[in-house]
Amino acid sequence: MIYFALSKGRLAEKTAKLLERCGIDVSVLQEETRKLVLETADKQFGFFLVKPADVPVYVESGVADLGVAGKDTLLEEDRDLYELLDLGFGKCKLCLAGYPARRSALTGGHLRVATKYIRTAERIFAERGEEAELIKLNGSVELAPVTGLSDVIFDVVETGATLKANGLTVLEEVITGVSARLVANKVSLKLKSAEILPLVEKMREAIG
Amino acid sequence: MAFTKLPAGVRDLLPGECAALCDIRERLARKFRMSGFEPVESATLEYYDTYSRIANAVAQERMFKLADTDGRLLVLRPDATLSVSRIAATKLGAPRARLSYFTHKFDLQPSGENSAREIEQAGVECLGEEGAFSDALTIAFAIECLKETGLADFVVEIGHVGYFKGILSECGLSGKDAEAVRVHVNAKDGVSARNLLEGAGVRKEAVRAVLELPSLFGGAEIFARAEALTASAQARSSIARLREVNALLCKMGYEKYICYDLGTVRSLGYYSGVVFAGLAREMGAPVMSGGRYDGLADDFGKHVPAVGFAMGLRRILVALERQGNLPAPVPVAVAFACEEGAEEAAYRAFTQAVSQGKRALLLPGYGREDLRGVEAAEKYFATKKGLERL
Repeated sequence: MIYFALSKGRLAEKTAKLLERCGIDVSVLQEETRKLVLETADKQFGFFLVKPADVPVYVESGVADLGVAGKDTLLEEDRDLYELLDLGFGKCKLCLAGYPARRSALTGGHLRVATKYIRTAERIFAERGEEAELIKLNGSVELAPVTGLSDVIFDVVETGATLKANGLTVLEEVITGVSARLVANKVSLKLKSAEILPLVEKMREAIG
Repeated sequence: MAFTKLPAGVRDLLPGECAALCDIRERLARKFRMSGFEPVESATLEYYDTYSRIANAVAQERMFKLADTDGRLLVLRPDATLSVSRIAATKLGAPRARLSYFTHKFDLQPSGENSAREIEQAGVECLGEEGAFSDALTIAFAIECLKETGLADFVVEIGHVGYFKGILSECGLSGKDAEAVRVHVNAKDGVSARNLLEGAGVRKEAVRAVLELPSLFGGAEIFARAEALTASAQARSSIARLREVNALLCKMGYEKYICYDLGTVRSLGYYSGVVFAGLAREMGAPVMSGGRYDGLADDFGKHVPAVGFAMGLRRILVALERQGNLPAPVPVAVAFACEEGAEEAAYRAFTQAVSQGKRALLLPGYGREDLRGVEAAEKYFATKKGLERL
């Protein structure tokens, strides 16, 4: 059996559709249930539905053989995994955003940055040799510059609608090309290659 | 916080699991000894400079540090191979040595779900040895050692850092970009590797070769594909070496245990030739890793070509447990108790059983009922009249 860790929500839905196109019966994923481990009828696949940030944890440990997670999550978690495919959906960018008038703050001496991606931000500012005070938030990050909690935010931007509705703009696109990735445990890929490799090929064909 | 609590990343081993670990250690120690290796032990405390000033420096943020009484910085042994290398380069006169060790290394910031801050390793280093037969012998011995631990379902994955270095040298990247490409290739992350290489303006053929690396794994059939990809002399001679090693391992009967991956490059500096890792079902990270590191001792003042490997004993223990292959506990064969005044007789019987190689137990409680809860094949109660079997 191949165990698959999926992040709850849109990524899981899109992954289910992709797997369906690969000829896998994913009806278990569409049922309303409180079960945490969902197995396909033919016992070929087991699915864990977890929080996005937990997908790399399950896959690195080997509890899950495969997983689907956003590149933003993979960068933030920085786990020892294989990244096998760019699935092409869940596209977005990691940006510094704030009030256009505060653009100068980016080059100022002390920048306050609110973000969910604390480790990624730390790495980026360290590489640049810039000082930044990082404020860890867990959601609604856009609120931080609006309320004065921070100067800017470092967050994923998909359409920019939330930014616009709050008078904020993208000040710098820091990491582009963020999208959903198929990840694999390093040992599973080798010891279950007979099951995993054909599936990866099918997925590669299905995404074109 | 309770003062009896342990810090993060370390653990106690309790009876049962510790017995299983001791059993594995004993089997491996015997295997090492019988196969011509001599045990060594490096000191647990060393100077910080020993590991920070060498070409293959251990990352500062991963070393446990203490201050010595004179203010100099000390570290808890951060790497087993480096310390054995240091011993070989600075203290052993002979050009060749086969050394084995059981040791604990310490990692201040372990990364990942399968790692700890105190890591118990058993390993060997074959110093002063070169050539494909030396590589093959070491890999064969690694397989034998993993079998000795009782692991059932495992493979040893083999690669060669020279192949990656050869392909990388065709790209003409800076040291920083080269390291970034290594990280991407090691993660089989073709998307990021492509972005970086194309951004750096690397030639098309060189980019194509790098992007093939993540899929260059499987059986010996990948060698032909790997050769066709590049004209780099270093890369091609690395494949030639792997072909030799593969032929030897097949002749020695290890074909079913081995596979290849040319995209696994754990470090650009440390290893110089063949690299290998033991992968066991039920364990998400390698249970053994090793390779050839001909330049490692140079920093310690002597060139010593060498190849070796280390097994992570606690990971092996976890894998054995999940596979249902933990060594069975050895039950007490014979248990004794005695009445007051019969201590001498009881003690003599007990020591006699031990010297006969039986696992024995003597209870000091003066009552037959003491033996009731004891699990043992035979039970005796000593009285002033003699031994009475219960």
